[in-house]
Amino acid sequence: MAPSLEVHFDNWLREYGPRGRESVEADSVARLLDALEARYPRLRFKIRDETGNLRRYVRVFVDGSDVSGTTGVSTSLDGAKTIDILHSVAGG
Amino acid sequence: MARNDRVRILVGTRKGTYIVESDRTRRRWKVAPVAHEGNEVYHVVADPRHPGEVYAAVNNMFFGPEVQRSRNWGKTWSEIATPLAPMRKEREFQMNESNPGAPVARPLNNLWHIEPGLPSEPETLYLGADPHLLFRSRDRGSSWEPIEAINQHPSRKDWSPGFGGACLHTIIIDPRDSNRLYIGMSSVGTFRSEDGGKSWTPTNKGVEAPFLPNKFPETGQCVHHVAIDAKDPDTFYRQDHGGIYVSHDRMSSWKRIGKPLGDDFGFCVTSPAAAPGKAYFVRLGGRARTTGEGHFQVQEWTDKTRTWRKLLLAKAFPGHFGVQREGIATDNLAPAGIYVGTTTGQLFVSPDAGRSWKLVPFQFPAIHSVSVGNPDPR
Repeated sequence: MAPSLEVHFDNWLREYGPRGRESVEADSVARLLDALEARYPRLRFKIRDETGNLRRYVRVFVDGSDVSGTTGVSTSLDGAKTIDILHSVAGG
Repeated sequence: MARNDRVRILVGTRKGTYIVESDRTRRRWKVAPVAHEGNEVYHVVADPRHPGEVYAAVNNMFFGPEVQRSRNWGKTWSEIATPLAPMRKEREFQMNESNPGAPVARPLNNLWHIEPGLPSEPETLYLGADPHLLFRSRDRGSSWEPIEAINQHPSRKDWSPGFGGACLHTIIIDPRDSNRLYIGMSSVGTFRSEDGGKSWTPTNKGVEAPFLPNKFPETGQCVHHVAIDAKDPDTFYRQDHGGIYVSHDRMSSWKRIGKPLGDDFGFCVTSPAAAPGKAYFVRLGGRARTTGEGHFQVQEWTDKTRTWRKLLLAKAFPGHFGVQREGIATDNLAPAGIYVGTTTGQLFVSPDAGRSWKLVPFQFPAIHSVSVGNPDPR
């Protein structure tokens, strides 16, 4: 059975539907995002683009570790407890 | 619906959408609160077929592009359907370096231009996007179809992005025939379709590509913007990376007209409804890409006499100003109002076809585009 995870969103992403704290069962980042997008359709293509990869300026942290630039959406969530989905430091 | 006597300048900026409003005298302007705050807005356009409806090409650097629509002249907005980049499996032009033989699916980058269809097709919209994509909606933006004959054109293998990206930024519909379409793409050039987008012909004959070994190729020119003449839909005015051109034969051939200006680089062009045969350009220095004379200037072309006229005195607005491809627009009143937005956030207004000019007293963010929501005809 997929683990139950606590997912945190920043205030910008909350404009697309999710609350600041969501509870989701998923065994990978891709499946986590599938579940969240099903729950909040306006999240589609905001965190991932049409190729299924994370957008350049969105960060996903698994138990505090940034997986955006490494294993990305294929990251396993076995044993994970907390996910943070945040917009990155960028802009000007 | 109440009669609309307002003139609205629709301003897309690096940090949001602004709607600037006046009456028909166009002397005093009021700036409405910003919408899409913090987003790059490449184009905002009113739909004259449905008064009050305005579309915006909103590009969020974090969360991607969105098509947004207002039904009350910009007071409130909502996201409508945004097209997806087709997941092409062949003729990909971006190489996967770790596996050069593998096709690469590319996401939609930025939305560049939204063009309402003709009055005879009240539900039709066109949308140009990066990477070099054209879409059409037959249901007022509830869904979009890719126009594959141009998106997968055989010459695509030779297309590459310009500095602004792989943008499809110009869409023109012949007012006599909704099946005759024209598009312009950076680093690719212009194309014409006579069959509603089923087939496309490059239309760059006579346009120089000074940055290529072959100076006059079939495609590869970096068109910056094109305007259609209000009375003669066979005539077009073109600001290209390689100079300023006119065509009198539906873009089948182009003649360079900008040489008397010296450096005829620039990005923008417009041709007003009230002054057919005239076109307005903001000539820029090709290196700095600002008004090279040291002051703000707009050049007026009169096609009948093939003459140029500068519209401003040097002392009026000293400085170096940049203007992007959608940075100039005209209204449909007589005399024509001319509106120019700069990359440093000034919005210049002339209510009398260039005779007098003033600045809207508001410092905007860098302006990407201006267009006009016209009042009802008298």
